Amino acid sequence: MLRTQEFNINFGPQHPSTHGVFRVVLTMDGERIVRAEPICGYLHRGMEKLAESRTYPQFIPYTDRMDYLAAMLQNWGYVMAVEKLMGIEVPERAEYLRVISGELSRLTSHVLATGVYALDMGGFTGFLLCFREREKMMDLLEELTGSRMTLSYARIGGVAADVPEGWLDKLKKLMDEMPGYIDEYDGLITGNEIFQARTKAVGVLKPETAINYSLSGPVLRGSGVNYDLRKVKSYSIYDRFDFDVPLGENGDCFDRFFCRVREMRQSVRIIQQAIEQIKEIDGPIIAKVPKVLKPPKGEAYEEIESSKGIIGYYVVSDGSNKPYRVHVRRPSFINLGYLDEMLRGYLIADVVAILGSIDIVLGEVDC
Amino acid sequence: MFGKGLVKGLQITWKEFWAPKLTVQYPEVQHTIPERFHGKFVLDVDKCIACGLCANACPNRVIDLKKQKVGKKQFLTDYVMNIQYCMYCGMCVESCNKDALHFSKDFNMNQYFYRDIPLVLVRREAPAEPVEEEAPAAKAAPKPKPKPKAKAEKSAAPAAAEVAAGKAPGKEGQ
Repeated sequence: MLRTQEFNINFGPQHPSTHGVFRVVLTMDGERIVRAEPICGYLHRGMEKLAESRTYPQFIPYTDRMDYLAAMLQNWGYVMAVEKLMGIEVPERAEYLRVISGELSRLTSHVLATGVYALDMGGFTGFLLCFREREKMMDLLEELTGSRMTLSYARIGGVAADVPEGWLDKLKKLMDEMPGYIDEYDGLITGNEIFQARTKAVGVLKPETAINYSLSGPVLRGSGVNYDLRKVKSYSIYDRFDFDVPLGENGDCFDRFFCRVREMRQSVRIIQQAIEQIKEIDGPIIAKVPKVLKPPKGEAYEEIESSKGIIGYYVVSDGSNKPYRVHVRRPSFINLGYLDEMLRGYLIADVVAILGSIDIVLGEVDC
Repeated sequence: MFGKGLVKGLQITWKEFWAPKLTVQYPEVQHTIPERFHGKFVLDVDKCIACGLCANACPNRVIDLKKQKVGKKQFLTDYVMNIQYCMYCGMCVESCNKDALHFSKDFNMNQYFYRDIPLVLVRREAPAEPVEEEAPAAKAAPKPKPKPKAKAEKSAAPAAAEVAAGKAPGKEGQ
């Protein structure tokens, strides 16, 4: 038998398919991957340390910069941890506004993930179609918060501002149109044979492996594990909404992708129900919170279901107006933990498919 | 049937080809900017009491605020925002009790030189004496009151010297 020699290939950090400044050193044997070494840290900004030199409310805009594709969910996770630390009760209307903006953020994130995955697989039209809806949703978020991506909308005890006049009607109109748009994605991307050939039976992840590696979000649910914090823990007011948790069957790249597409439909359902329910609720949008926040000594951990998975904030207070320590459980970072084993034995073209199906955002990976 | 997905995809693409276009011909045509847009900062100097709440609320210490005591009140002399470090989070605008700081809809803030990036919202000299105290002093002119007069003269002298030395430029707002 011929002796072969292994060689290394650098995939990234500037490769567009790595979805950011992420580097994977691939050890190849011919055309097959023998080993993959993910190297992150190119976007590291020391967010957790930055939190220690800022007051509690001042850290909210920094959380946006972690997962900038679903900024509201990041805000939400952090403020929930601080609220738990201080024992603040959030007004009902604020909870609804958080759900609406959070689900809208999840939609923008999933729409981008769908479009970019289509682009990774060679379908440019799908990318353009997805961006069309993403822009519409971002226009609405801009009208609500003043920013398009880095929303900084959640506040400790509530949200920054109430909805502008006529905003809910615009949102309702878009949400009524949204299932039609998702049907288009299904027709153009999901149903495409070339797309299916490149994603089915590629990067198969067994349910027990996904649990052992503590993966979360659509990556976990794509393997068929029914674990969604919105159902399991039912934080905020999620118990008031009727929605399903989409699950995959085979745990391959296609299932992870298709889980996101079906999750978009569920998010639309949640927003539609929230719009109907919020009309009957009037009241303050922020609780009475002291101007200078000084939580009592102690620690709090809160987690929410972000678009990428479970995002958790662990905040330690020493009684001063600045947190003693903040740690963030970032789903993108943890979901990457299984990348090496997932890539072994596949071709380079499959690296693009597998990495895209995990849906990482490097702001969150590097933190 | 193999190829069904391709035919359906082409149908959608064909339909979209004839759909109305969403792109706008910028800069001739522009989108409407929402009311809450985080654009260039605007400071209403008359409302500002130079309390410094905005500077304290800023996560990146972007706001450089200088004030001088004139009589009993604080007088804002310098308000410079180093917007190269600004996150446009709106914490400063939210913290203002007097509703003096606002976002405008202006988003064209590009500058050719780095030195022009800081946004100078106020740069002025403090008055020599408080405006409110001038009127009672004029009324009391017939009655000789040596102590307040001497104080006023003292405070006027260094301010005049500062202007003559050119330390305080008379630029107000931009």
